[in-house]
Amino acid sequence: MTKRRMFLRMITASLLRRRSRMLIALLSIGIGATILAGMVTIYYDVPRQMRSQMRSYGANMLLMPDEGETLTTEKLDGVLALLPEEALVGATPYRYVRLDMTSRQQSFTSAGTDFEQVKKTSPYFSVDGRYPEGTREVLVGKEIAETIGVKEGSTMELTYQPSVSSASGEASADWIPGAKLSGSAEGWSGGTMTVTATLGEDGAIAEIAVDASTQTEEFGGRTQTDQAFLSQFIGRKLPLRLNPDADEMVGAGVASAKNSAPEGSDQVDALSGATVSSAAIVNALNSARNADATAKPNTVKYTVTGILVTGGEEEGYVFMSLGDMQSLTGEDKLDVAELSVSAEEEQLNAYAEQIGQSGQGVKARLVKRVTKSETAVLGKLQALVFLVTVVVLLLTMICVSTTMMAVVSERRREIGLRKALGASDNSIRVEFLGEGVFLGILGGVLGALLGFVFAQVVSVNVFGSSITFQPLLLPAAVIVSVLIAAASCLMPIKRAVAIDPALVLKGE
Amino acid sequence: MALLELKNISKIYGELKALDNVSLHVDKGEWVAIMGPSGSGKSTMMNIIGCMDKPTKGEVLLDGVDISKESSKRLTDIRRDKIGLIFQQFHMVGYLTAVENVMVSQYYHSMPDEEEALEALGRVGLRERARHLPSQLSGGEQQRVCVARALINHPELILADEPTGNLDEANENIVLDLFRQLHREGTTLIVVTHDPEVAEAAQRTIVLEHGRVAREIVNENFVD
Repeated sequence: MTKRRMFLRMITASLLRRRSRMLIALLSIGIGATILAGMVTIYYDVPRQMRSQMRSYGANMLLMPDEGETLTTEKLDGVLALLPEEALVGATPYRYVRLDMTSRQQSFTSAGTDFEQVKKTSPYFSVDGRYPEGTREVLVGKEIAETIGVKEGSTMELTYQPSVSSASGEASADWIPGAKLSGSAEGWSGGTMTVTATLGEDGAIAEIAVDASTQTEEFGGRTQTDQAFLSQFIGRKLPLRLNPDADEMVGAGVASAKNSAPEGSDQVDALSGATVSSAAIVNALNSARNADATAKPNTVKYTVTGILVTGGEEEGYVFMSLGDMQSLTGEDKLDVAELSVSAEEEQLNAYAEQIGQSGQGVKARLVKRVTKSETAVLGKLQALVFLVTVVVLLLTMICVSTTMMAVVSERRREIGLRKALGASDNSIRVEFLGEGVFLGILGGVLGALLGFVFAQVVSVNVFGSSITFQPLLLPAAVIVSVLIAAASCLMPIKRAVAIDPALVLKGE
Repeated sequence: MALLELKNISKIYGELKALDNVSLHVDKGEWVAIMGPSGSGKSTMMNIIGCMDKPTKGEVLLDGVDISKESSKRLTDIRRDKIGLIFQQFHMVGYLTAVENVMVSQYYHSMPDEEEALEALGRVGLRERARHLPSQLSGGEQQRVCVARALINHPELILADEPTGNLDEANENIVLDLFRQLHREGTTLIVVTHDPEVAEAAQRTIVLEHGRVAREIVNENFVD
């Protein structure tokens, strides 16, 4: 038998046959290692856990087209492919368009989006009802819903007015005969007046209809019905203006005005007692003319599937699916995409840079408020876990050290005997250290396994999700436990070495 | 030829002279008993001979080497190589079996050899009890294990401190018989005792009183 085998036989016998005392030491190392392993697991897992949790605070990255570029769904997919799949929690495209609800003379900012992604990037959205699933369904912000009085199941007609082209009035050359113009303007006391007109072959107004229901009946209201007033528009071309020289105004019962608008000019006379309403009609016609008359307004009837409650500005929006928005506007265009990416601030910056340099004409911006607070919270949490770990390790060391100290006093005679039998100080050191290391290994393995269970329990109860076992944790826990056990043995060993072998002779 | 020679040694603890100018000469192969009442300096003398203590004054020659000025580390080496110890309280390692206890001595000396250890146990009549823990052995059996342990490394000197102090008569005889065997094989034995019967088994008895050698009795009836 080699010396090494005898050494192992002695220390294992010491641990296995002197169970009670060693169990205490093993238990303290085991508990220490358990908490250590658990804490380390949590330490490394918490950021991952918390990052997903924190993603509930909303998007932390915005994608926007570069100056002069357009963002399309296809381009967005190309950019998203640059991000690791597991880091991307969600990516919500948004297309913002102002839509009119003609029946209420209201217009709202409306967003075309992907509701499945909205649930991921804006989990705090709360819907009274349900998210739209099919086509021609909308989600209405609470603020709008209250204003226009819609609720789940209501229908609403929304009109897309192709955007006012930047071209000036010259667009008139392209007018199609028979094109319908529709415009609105503010009349008396802020009420909206809507005017529709049909153009004739020559591009002059052939028909006109005024909705003056918001105006005072006996004044502005008459603009809707007074044929003398309305007839002056027929045959005139837009743009028009009110006759500035008139001192009497046309209207039922008034044959004509003094200095009335010259025939064939760009002037019309205002209706007597309804100057403001008259001006509004002229303005409405002019603004309608300024709109690109080649693109016809598109009106679609939608069903409200739910009311969106967020407590934020989203309550002032109407949401519909991106597909609905595209068929309404006839464009595949996105204004912005909100991304929720599970990564540290540094990594997020790297992603943003990568996207910016991908040459897709898209730039990424971090939502600083979200990323900063995430980083700060995670940092503090990790510091706390670290602190607890250090304290636990210290306590473990004290506990193991105390136990080993007691072991040494308990084994004074045995140590004296060993020395009397010729054990050198080094042999004594090595033997005790050997026992410590053995305890450390046992405690470490025990701790790594129990620690994982501990971390799992904490994770499930606190974070509501399970964690994966880190294979590296086992050797790490064992090494740390061995080091702690060895360090804890230093003082007791010093005491053991100081024991006088002569004590065995004194018949103590 | 002298294996051990104490030349005018004194051990002084403060005011107390535990040993006062003691000289002793033990030949190789000799069997010497040391007697004396408590406080006579027996233990101190035993410690010095056993290389576990150093005299305040005087020389200790073991196998011709002066060990009185050696470092405690050197003393450990010398004790391990030359001396086998037997104690009154048996002193076994409680969690090791009989054979393992014998092997501990081998372990510190050179190489553990289970066969040899079992043989040594056979010699003290305990081969069948080799796998028992000390708690499963009687006092006499434990002391016999200690004798096996003391002789396992073939020491030149066996130093026994009250080896039969805690034993009944039957076991005392077994141990004394073992000593006789060792003596016949040429091992030097120094036995500290206050039991006259044990002392009478030796060739020569040194009586200590108040730290001095009071008298020396040669055993006329010694049977080899």
